Amino acid sequence: MKRIKLLLISTVLMVQGTMAQDAGEILKKMDEVLYSSKDMMGKNRIVLIDKNGKEKIREAIFKQKGNDKRLFRFTKPASQDGISTLSLPNDVMYLYLPSFGKERRISSGVKSQKFAGTDFTYEDMEAKTFVEKYTGTLLGEEGDLLVLELIPKSPKSGYSKLITKVNKEHYYPVYTEYYDKGGNKIKIAKYTFKKIGKYWNSEVIEMTDLKKNHTTKMIMYDVKYDTGLNDDEFTVRKLKQ
Amino acid sequence: MRHTGAGFGIMILILLFSLTGRAQDEKDKLKLSGQFMTDQRFLLQKPNDWAWNENRLTLKLSKKFADKAKFHSEVWLRNIGLPQYNSMADLYNKGIIDPYNLEIREAYVQLYGFLSKNLDIKIGRQRIAWGTADMLNPTDNLNPYDYEDVLDFGRHRGSDAITLDYYFNADFSLQGVFIPFFQPDNLPVGIFANALIPEYDLPPDIVLDELTDETIRPRYNLAESTTAGTKFRGFAGGIDFSLSYVWGRDGLPFSIYNTFSPNDSLTAINIHSELAFTREHIFGADMATTIGGAGLWAEVAGFLPDHEVIMTNDFSPLFPSLPPVKQDSVVLKKQMYVKFVVGMDYHFANGSYLNFQYLHGYASERGAENLNDYFFITYDMKFFEERLKVMPVAGAFIVSDWKDVNNNYAIIYAPTITYMATDNAEISLSAPLFFGKGNNIFSRLTDYDMLMFRFKYSF
Repeated sequence: MKRIKLLLISTVLMVQGTMAQDAGEILKKMDEVLYSSKDMMGKNRIVLIDKNGKEKIREAIFKQKGNDKRLFRFTKPASQDGISTLSLPNDVMYLYLPSFGKERRISSGVKSQKFAGTDFTYEDMEAKTFVEKYTGTLLGEEGDLLVLELIPKSPKSGYSKLITKVNKEHYYPVYTEYYDKGGNKIKIAKYTFKKIGKYWNSEVIEMTDLKKNHTTKMIMYDVKYDTGLNDDEFTVRKLKQ
Repeated sequence: MRHTGAGFGIMILILLFSLTGRAQDEKDKLKLSGQFMTDQRFLLQKPNDWAWNENRLTLKLSKKFADKAKFHSEVWLRNIGLPQYNSMADLYNKGIIDPYNLEIREAYVQLYGFLSKNLDIKIGRQRIAWGTADMLNPTDNLNPYDYEDVLDFGRHRGSDAITLDYYFNADFSLQGVFIPFFQPDNLPVGIFANALIPEYDLPPDIVLDELTDETIRPRYNLAESTTAGTKFRGFAGGIDFSLSYVWGRDGLPFSIYNTFSPNDSLTAINIHSELAFTREHIFGADMATTIGGAGLWAEVAGFLPDHEVIMTNDFSPLFPSLPPVKQDSVVLKKQMYVKFVVGMDYHFANGSYLNFQYLHGYASERGAENLNDYFFITYDMKFFEERLKVMPVAGAFIVSDWKDVNNNYAIIYAPTITYMATDNAEISLSAPLFFGKGNNIFSRLTDYDMLMFRFKYSF
């Protein structure tokens, strides 16, 4: 009887080991799909929908190079026109407020804060790869989706875990649940991907804060890939222009 | 002056020529944006006098010429102050009945990659904001201070200037600034008018009847009226830093010659003051970084007066039969005095925000022995999807003499509520309360506890 138990336990451990390995490969493939372009630029329409269905619209332009350089500049509403953020490697982030006429370093403590009143946090907006940010475990499959549990590697993360469902064929996420440090499900994200040229683009991301019953739709349009953006586009000099 | 004017003319011609050529690449449209703001304040003390009336229309006009150049301007059209009519004649004057003014805050052209791809040039009226601290910047000395509203900390006017920025790479740059003529600071108005004027100590039984003054303007030439500055900026080891130097002139004047003369009354006198603006060298350094999720910054500026400032009190007119009676005293030594600020901010997980700064030496204070200590703190919380911001802790504690704090301090407490009625409409209500004793800027405001109402609409 003991032998049977030991055999069962070792089999389970072997299976778990295989699934963990699979999860790592899946994360790599997701990164290849989402971060394979050299650079991208485009426009963002951000629709904030409150629990009564009332909508507010913000617009922005963005540029991104690799997975650690991003410039984001609001164009609407008028009260936020020109407010810009520049994200650089090693958690360096600058905020430019036109009314002050100078850039300002943002503390990394802001990462768990909501980004410009949306349901996305600065952490959600990070362009870091999945492999850099999470340790994954494959939980199983649901139809044509792979279900993964992602544990943030950084202790500064605002989340304890994410459960994400990934398209089995193309390896882009279609649905993610976010859990707070207490293990409570606090947000869900739904993704609509569309292929632009050879890249899969997250055309619409719909993030819902379950506690506040508030949703943010981030719609990307006029997206262009590999336009040859150089590093000079991601400097404080450009941020202030 | 002629040389300066010619230099400017040539520079503008080069700029315009360059801009015209590049305008063919223009993609961006002329953009008009701005803000309407009304700022109304009344005193809490009965009979609740109106303390401030300002209706400001900010108009911003900007145009980008692809990624090569930018024109930007900001104009304030304001109705500010309360009607001050005293006679029938004043009723004919709209400027008195309905005081207004027009102010060009900025109007400049900036060329990117001017002469060299790493060089940017900006010419025209501009705000050159230096320093890493939050509104209280000891190194921010190129533009004149705008003290009009003493509760609007750190406000400056624009200067007519040429600024060159050379970028060695993404992390290091050198800035050079040339301001051809001196523009003094403007003083507080309305109920704040006396905030920056120190109290006079007169002998007992002597009453001041009339105080007149005249300012000695620096000559408008290169040696006398220009201001020049340079700043080396860098980023290394996760720290933003800069080193700066300014050769300029103190924007607030010193009294250098006071003539005491008799009045018709036996116990009253008149004083006539001559005021001068002192040349100075300002050496600055600042840094900003993040540690453990908190933002940290520090800024220091050493002010070295070009010469010792001596104030002469001339009592001769009071004693006409005696030889000249004069008394000299040093009001500013030719020694470096240092102002600095250190600060931090932190965003809490619940969305609240804390900002703390310790400042040694307010902008208007000069001389090592006259620098006071200021502890500023704000803490705000946001509610209803960030539409409502409540700032229960907002204010400052000021000490002007640590040996006798009980009689030399000030406290500003200004709880504030801000509501975003729409994306572009902001309403705020604040109640600045002032407590204190002694001779510092804010202890002079203890009679002016007030309620402030502000409405802003951006377009």
